[in-house]
Amino acid sequence: MTQLGNNEILKAVNLKKYFRIGKDKKGPIFVRAVDGVNFSIRYGETLGLVGESGSGKSTIAYTVVGMYGPTSGQVLFKDQDIGMKAVRRPLSLKKEIQIVFQDPSSSLNPEQTIEQILSLPLRLHTRTPNRQFKEKMIELLEKVELPSEYLYKFPSSIGGGEKQMVAIARALASNPSLIVLDEPTSALDVSIQAKVINKLMNLQKELHLTYLFITHDLSLMRNVASRIAIMYLGKICEVADTATFFEKPLHPYTQMLISSVPVITEEEEKLKPKKVVSIGEIGSPVNPPSGCSFHPRCPFRMPICSEVDPEMIEVFPEHTVRCHLFSRPEETGSKGV
Amino acid sequence: METKENILLSIKDLHVWYRAYGGYLKVLNGVDLIVREGERVGLVGEAGCGKTTTMKSILQILPPRNFLIPKGEIYYKRKDILKMNFSEIQRLRSKEIAMIFQDPTAALNPVFTLGTQIGDVIRYSIALDRGKVRKEKIRALSVKALKEVSLPDPERMLVNYPFQLSGGMRQRVCIAMAISSSRNLLIADEPGTSLDVTIQDQILRLLKEIVEKKGTSIILITHSLGVAREMTDRIYVMYAGTIVETALTKDLFKNPVHPYTKGLLASVPKLSGGGLAKGIPGRIPDYLNPPQGCRFQPRCEYATPSCVETPPQLFEVEKGHLVACYLAQR
Amino acid sequence: MKNLSGGQSNSSIAVSLARPKSLFWTNLGRNWYKFSRNPLSTIGLVIVLVIIISAIFAPWITPYPEHAGPFVDFENAGQPPSLQHLCGTDNMGRDIFSRIIFAFRGALIMALVVLGLAVPLGVLLGLIGGYFQGGWIDTVIMRITDIFLAVPPLILALAIASMLEPNLMNAMIAVTVMWWPWYTRLLYGTASSIKNEYFVIAAELTGASKFHIIFREILPNCLSPIFTKMALDVGWVILIGASLSFVGLGQQPPTPALGQMVSDGARYMPTFWWMTIFPALAIVLILVGFNLMGDGIRDMFERGMG
Repeated sequence: MTQLGNNEILKAVNLKKYFRIGKDKKGPIFVRAVDGVNFSIRYGETLGLVGESGSGKSTIAYTVVGMYGPTSGQVLFKDQDIGMKAVRRPLSLKKEIQIVFQDPSSSLNPEQTIEQILSLPLRLHTRTPNRQFKEKMIELLEKVELPSEYLYKFPSSIGGGEKQMVAIARALASNPSLIVLDEPTSALDVSIQAKVINKLMNLQKELHLTYLFITHDLSLMRNVASRIAIMYLGKICEVADTATFFEKPLHPYTQMLISSVPVITEEEEKLKPKKVVSIGEIGSPVNPPSGCSFHPRCPFRMPICSEVDPEMIEVFPEHTVRCHLFSRPEETGSKGV
Repeated sequence: METKENILLSIKDLHVWYRAYGGYLKVLNGVDLIVREGERVGLVGEAGCGKTTTMKSILQILPPRNFLIPKGEIYYKRKDILKMNFSEIQRLRSKEIAMIFQDPTAALNPVFTLGTQIGDVIRYSIALDRGKVRKEKIRALSVKALKEVSLPDPERMLVNYPFQLSGGMRQRVCIAMAISSSRNLLIADEPGTSLDVTIQDQILRLLKEIVEKKGTSIILITHSLGVAREMTDRIYVMYAGTIVETALTKDLFKNPVHPYTKGLLASVPKLSGGGLAKGIPGRIPDYLNPPQGCRFQPRCEYATPSCVETPPQLFEVEKGHLVACYLAQR
Repeated sequence: MKNLSGGQSNSSIAVSLARPKSLFWTNLGRNWYKFSRNPLSTIGLVIVLVIIISAIFAPWITPYPEHAGPFVDFENAGQPPSLQHLCGTDNMGRDIFSRIIFAFRGALIMALVVLGLAVPLGVLLGLIGGYFQGGWIDTVIMRITDIFLAVPPLILALAIASMLEPNLMNAMIAVTVMWWPWYTRLLYGTASSIKNEYFVIAAELTGASKFHIIFREILPNCLSPIFTKMALDVGWVILIGASLSFVGLGQQPPTPALGQMVSDGARYMPTFWWMTIFPALAIVLILVGFNLMGDGIRDMFERGMG
């Protein structure tokens, strides 16, 4: 069995998650949501997962947190194999890994007060005696800068940003080590987003948290993640630390995605790769293109790309890519890069 | 040079109220907006600022019986839309102004083929002037419209249903419907927002191409400053039902004046890094009891007593650049 | 200490003083606004209140309260409607108007008891079936429900009531037995869709017990369809009760029951039309009142600003 590295809190090894959606003459039909993914998260860092529809980023998040069990492969957390749905996980594990969902209007029970929402994790995961319950809840609210009166409010009477703060407070209630954040600000206005993100970053430093941060917004990712993994149709295309990811993107899809981002300054404009412009439709995870699933849209495609799926290769230290452009020349017959 | 002649649409001091429990939601509080021929105008603001209401007022698609327009005019080619009768408005919707809605999946009827839906738009538009139209002609025009939005295999597309298409293709179909007959003004509501980034990029480039080729004017409604920067010549920044700043696009980004505009620009995360600004404290005002004076004042760090009393009017700080702020007037 | 909305945070003393009212009462004004948007709903509410109040205070407000018991006055039998007898008198000389008001009592009691028993049972089964959708629990519960629903409701009620001794209690039992499946079906649909909401998933992921999830997370979100249906059901339960008493099951004479009064008066049609028509109109009034009020309740629970 694979071991975790010294500073790794979570590791996924050849993780696959397929959803069966029926069958045809040839056999069962699957949505290959996650199709063989390897990554690790280090203590205290923010690993960003970025991708578009069908990339599998949300499925990975949900598998880590226990909404799904993997079809195959392993997920290791602090030396435990956590590849199973949450119902089968011990309570101590549920305490450690928490999730903040995208839309706080649906992730908070509209018929419960904030007090009731926060009391669930406190009751399950901490040994707080009843007398101190209210104090603890006020403490949690203070951590996310919400006034204590909010305890008696219903989610419908507070704003979107504040609701998300409540969701974050709920995640913090069990003293987790890892928090999965699935598009935590996509449903919020830009002016509110900044506050929520800043609060998340401060809390991370203060409480020594590790984040798995998922978003489609590259500009946000730039300012939040320490390392970024970009996904396409269930597979990781490239992993690099944030600065390198944006300054020297290697994978054609990475370049295509960066060049599609609407920006507001000249400085950012210069960062966008001009050679790779978005073309074509995103492939289907039910029937992905053969070989490298990105090849139909790739401006640099070579004959081998439609036949053989490339392996993940470490091109520079801490910078891995899955692309034939960077495979060893003798394997592709090209001159390499 | 501003000439009265080539102004296509002119919204003057528009107030729109919605009926609600406890009174009226005074959403729009005096909106002034101009679109000239061939111009690309952006209406930028966050959720709840009233941009959708403004747009719905133009085409008179506000929820019936629930709204009130106590003041204001919307002039299209010199005629006030708010005073038009039903057949004039139908003509307006059919031949002059087209809307491209935000969510293409919701804008297309799932139980009819694309051919039927595009055909309906075309037939209705022509029928207003010329009565019945031959089926072959409608079909030909439908195929032409689909070709213009670069949809592959347009003839076969006609028999497809919306669910057979991807989000990006549906958005293209909506655009095709909007340009199927020649229009003078397109209103695009958050185009591409519900789509993936790479697809959104394609849709925006398509829109740009079409507008350039046909010389149509376009009002682009968006919450994304980046999209507005790429797609428009002039921008109106809207907050809580008022236009707080308007300028040529390049001037707005080079020299933002209104505190809200500045706060908004600072809150947008930059692709080049540098961390996030603090954002803007507070929330949008309660439209039931909005602030007497400037509606941004409760959240503004530069607020003065005069800001609380009377709302500031748009004031020209440089050519073509107007700001509704007492700060700018000093 | 500054917070998100720019205000100051308070001490816990102030907090403990601010006990919350339930969402319904906090929004009472807004709920009334939504309810009363359609004037018909208010009319329905007024009708319902009149019926309930007159039923409660029947002995004191009816002109001839004793006519609702063992009373005969053959001299006054068959009197047409007049100022002394607003709805005329029946074949035993009893004042029909007073008897109708007293009949409201039995009708409302039946609705109260039937719904009071059928709703908790039906809701419980529906919640459990809906939450465990796809498993054996779902199959067992829903197939039993289907069996009950397959029998035409009135026939089922008649069959049960005729097997037992004819009285109000047994009529109520009969109607309860045919009523609970509708709530099971309603809750099955509601619960199985709510269980996929993110707030339920969040509770499951954090380790909440099934009891907590079903009764603290899902049930509170099902209340609006339940209350709406209950309001609309009152009229229909009363109608079924009247159908039972029409054939002699249910409330026995001399206690007045609306269906029984319709049936008794039917053979005197058309000469003594008031003996049947007024009790029948009373049934119509009940149904119309509760239906209109039920529509208003449904509007009240609808999301949106109204």
